[in-house]
Amino acid sequence: MGPYHTMLVHFPIAFWVTATVIIFVRAVSSGKLALAFDRVLVPFLFLGTLTGIAAWFIGTLVWPADTLQTSPLGRNHMMAASWSLIYWTVLMLMRWTVGPAIWDSVLNRVIMLLLGGLGGVLLIITATIGGHLAGSATFLTEILRMIGWEVYATFYLPNWMLVVLVALIVLMPVLALFGRRSA
Amino acid sequence: MLKRTQAKLLVMGLFGGGLLLSLATHGSGVIANDPDRNIWIPDDLTMPLELQVAYNDEDILFRYRWPTDHPNLFIDMLRFDGERWVRHGGSPVGPEPDAMYEDRVTMLVDDGSIPEFQRYGGYITVGDGMRYFTEAASRAEIAEHPVLGPEGRADIRKHLPATRSDPDDWTTLVDPGELAAQREAGYFLDLWHWRAHRSNPLDVSDDQYIAQYRFGDSGRGPYFTNWDSDGGHPSLMFDAEQVGFHALRWEEVSRNNPDPESIYYLAEDFAVPFDPDHAWQEGDVIPRRALRQPAGSRGAIRVDGPARWNDGWWDVTLRRALDTGYPLEDKIMHHGGVYDIGVAVHRDATGARWHYVSMPYQVGLGRNADIAAHRFTGARPNWDEVPPFEMTLFYPGQVSWPRLNSETHAGADSIRAGVPVRFRHNEAQLAQYGVEIEFEAAIRRQWMLTLLLGVGLIISFALSASLLLRRREEEG
Repeated sequence: MGPYHTMLVHFPIAFWVTATVIIFVRAVSSGKLALAFDRVLVPFLFLGTLTGIAAWFIGTLVWPADTLQTSPLGRNHMMAASWSLIYWTVLMLMRWTVGPAIWDSVLNRVIMLLLGGLGGVLLIITATIGGHLAGSATFLTEILRMIGWEVYATFYLPNWMLVVLVALIVLMPVLALFGRRSA
Repeated sequence: MLKRTQAKLLVMGLFGGGLLLSLATHGSGVIANDPDRNIWIPDDLTMPLELQVAYNDEDILFRYRWPTDHPNLFIDMLRFDGERWVRHGGSPVGPEPDAMYEDRVTMLVDDGSIPEFQRYGGYITVGDGMRYFTEAASRAEIAEHPVLGPEGRADIRKHLPATRSDPDDWTTLVDPGELAAQREAGYFLDLWHWRAHRSNPLDVSDDQYIAQYRFGDSGRGPYFTNWDSDGGHPSLMFDAEQVGFHALRWEEVSRNNPDPESIYYLAEDFAVPFDPDHAWQEGDVIPRRALRQPAGSRGAIRVDGPARWNDGWWDVTLRRALDTGYPLEDKIMHHGGVYDIGVAVHRDATGARWHYVSMPYQVGLGRNADIAAHRFTGARPNWDEVPPFEMTLFYPGQVSWPRLNSETHAGADSIRAGVPVRFRHNEAQLAQYGVEIEFEAAIRRQWMLTLLLGVGLIISFALSASLLLRRREEEG
């Protein structure tokens, strides 16, 4: 299944990279081109999600689950791929449910710009680790190493940090519920 | 009341902070030394080693240089505590607490008879049930084995895969006739084994080989055990008439900084039978290993010039005849040949599997190879004319050959296809993998929790942002 996964991942990568560009353009411009770009953002993200799900599923069949989850590179790739897929999917849902208001204020645009950038970074990390797994290491590994991620070591968090994440998962929507009632 | 703008900034800050904190803390909380499970992880997972090789018509010389902060020249000492002789420096898990464990350099050598060794190096010698693995075969299990039990083996050491009918099972030793045929066909690895205490003071190295077990070559080894188990004391002591004392002193030994030119070891030449009636003092120390000149095949490797530690580096040169005359125990070398090697170093007072190992490399004697041996005339080469080959050694962890060929290794198919380890892995990667395998279940669980909570964080953030980014009038 390896070659099929390699072929399939090009599609979500293409859609999500394009989405990153669209978000960047729309965040800095309200011109005709930017507005036209924004109109296709949700469809692009939707196609990214569909092809992303296919690529993720085929990816899990490249090796038996136990093999993939025993390899640090395999674990990291699976984690980054899962996060990328979820991230871009919820970004699509955000844009879809919030509508054009998502670009209303400067702060909103800065937030979208950061979110688009983070999605792009996730995509790069996923592709870099996938390249390693396929036997095509790149210099990007060194950049990840410089920011503190050794791709040969499994990315996992200590228990106390997992508790912090649970707290954040609960706290953010609570803050949002309180905050949205005010101007 | 929390303002919407404030809430946006807060949610963004919490999400970003969570990501940054995750990046800063990842990889912690699981890896810890656990001697009960035979686990100890070195601080440094890799180290450098420089190798130079030279040969003339008679001999081949390997010069090894590697860094270590402190040389360890002692091993296995017997200290008199006022009543009895207490052993210091047995084979430990990780570093020996009193630093009583000698530095070592070892080298596996093959002449192409074992193609897997050329591709995977020492990994092929790490079979099932290896000693000091978490799942090591027990003494009781080995004692019950029909061959290894009667041979008095207490543990499972390096061995070659085809010496078992099922390489995944250490008990399946093939029959003696088959083992003999394998040896005749060259299916064994030569093992050069230099030890800072048990061979170096006499300017010699041990000479061993690996087949169905790790054996010493025939002949006499460079050391023997100096212990009278019936008497509960050493068999030999220092000859005071020759060296001026009957024993070393613990104050000196425990400082672990002997003058390499001094008598810090016990050798046959200046040893006399132990005198239990001597007025032994608390803190007297006698080495539990006594040295002697090796002979026969086992004495084929010599130290060329003194091997010494200086300015943070060991500098050890070993010399052996190209043809030792023992083709069933040594790999005979010739001009025009290419030979496979794997080098390992023990340092920081560690023994057993706590070593740093190299990838497999090839040495060419007049032929192209990773390492070009320099041909010289006369007694000694001019090392300045021999460019050093720099290699990185790595901590291999508990990675066995059965595991590498199992379904848990994503590269098992590549091994079956004959893809060399160096094609797909580098030393830092292998070291990291070696460590993670020692904590496999815990890391896997923690990774899965991290993955799931990461998904939860993303969804929670998106939900929060959706609530905050929409217009108020749209909220009804």
